[in-house]
Amino acid sequence: MITAEQKPLDEIRGTIASYQRILVLGCGSCVAECAAGGEKETGMLASTLRMAAKMEGREVLIREKTLERQCVKDFVILLDDVIHEYDAVLSLGCGAGVQAVADMFPEVPIIPALNTEFLGETKDQGLWVENCLGCGDCMLYHFGGICPLARCSKHLLNGPCGGSVDGKCEINPEVPCGWQLIIDRLEQHHALDRLEHIYPPKDWSKKQGGGPRKIIREDQQR
Amino acid sequence: MEGKNTMAQLKSRSRTGAGKRHLTLALFYCQNTPESGEAERQALEGKYGSSLRLFPIPCSGRLDPIHLLKALEEFADAAYVITCPEGACRYFEGNMRAKKRIERTRDTIAQIGLERERLGMVMNTREKPKALGVIASEILDGISAFPPSPVFAKRKASKEKDS
Repeated sequence: MITAEQKPLDEIRGTIASYQRILVLGCGSCVAECAAGGEKETGMLASTLRMAAKMEGREVLIREKTLERQCVKDFVILLDDVIHEYDAVLSLGCGAGVQAVADMFPEVPIIPALNTEFLGETKDQGLWVENCLGCGDCMLYHFGGICPLARCSKHLLNGPCGGSVDGKCEINPEVPCGWQLIIDRLEQHHALDRLEHIYPPKDWSKKQGGGPRKIIREDQQR
Repeated sequence: MEGKNTMAQLKSRSRTGAGKRHLTLALFYCQNTPESGEAERQALEGKYGSSLRLFPIPCSGRLDPIHLLKALEEFADAAYVITCPEGACRYFEGNMRAKKRIERTRDTIAQIGLERERLGMVMNTREKPKALGVIASEILDGISAFPPSPVFAKRKASKEKDS
């Protein structure tokens, strides 16, 4: 899941200050799961912005709508009937969602209300943690399902570094040592021998070395 | 700064006579509050008229920030929540969740310059829990010093100007 957090209200209000008719647009997927941009958060932000406008005596139209996904054109097209009513869209989608809406409606400013953070997991209620860098060449098999790039603070492929204490990372005693987790898991799987292999430096060309990435699946295309 | 509105400022603005409109309280309450049945609710709303809008909820943990914000946006000068005593929530931690949500919503309204004190929570007492009517009366007394919400003040002024 892609995680995000709402930008400070002052920043949001600054970016929409010059518009009179604003659609606050939520996204019902990843950002809803991380309680940043779902229907509920969209309603809260719209309500807060309307109150702020009233307190300033400004006549501004602020409405809200939530798409199931902002990053899929089949859903974004649902704005076709309403988007002409607005000067700007304040999007609570992730960066991909904001850009997908902007690509479909280039004549309307699509303004981000969120800071997109990382690929992660809902660890507990109200707790999201990063566990994938989207490197384009998954190595989780070798490390017992724990990514050393995302979960070792030093991104070591050949760890551990030796700095951990009681299973915690030396950068912060609250951060679990990724390599301790890897070793514990491989031990559980009776697969510690995988660590005898020396892993070469990561080939980052599969991440962003070749520019923006894309996936083409002809069997999925029309 | 907008976020530094305090009770003192609220009262100071009230003393300057910033508006004489009567205040409206949106009061959300856990249905486990004593004497909070439908008959009592109707009697209280009859007694206080438009000064009090009551919203029963099955547990204060059901409360969502959007409920408080919508109340402040649409009609209320203050929005409060009555919860069960600490450790006495029928659903274990509903009241503690409500507390956190109210605190976060207070931060939100402070960011747009609305006083944090316009949102509040009253945790009922474990010994001799108070009835809904008693707590409602206490809250109404407590907010009586507030000036009307600035959310409505500008709009009202603008309408008067237009007419």
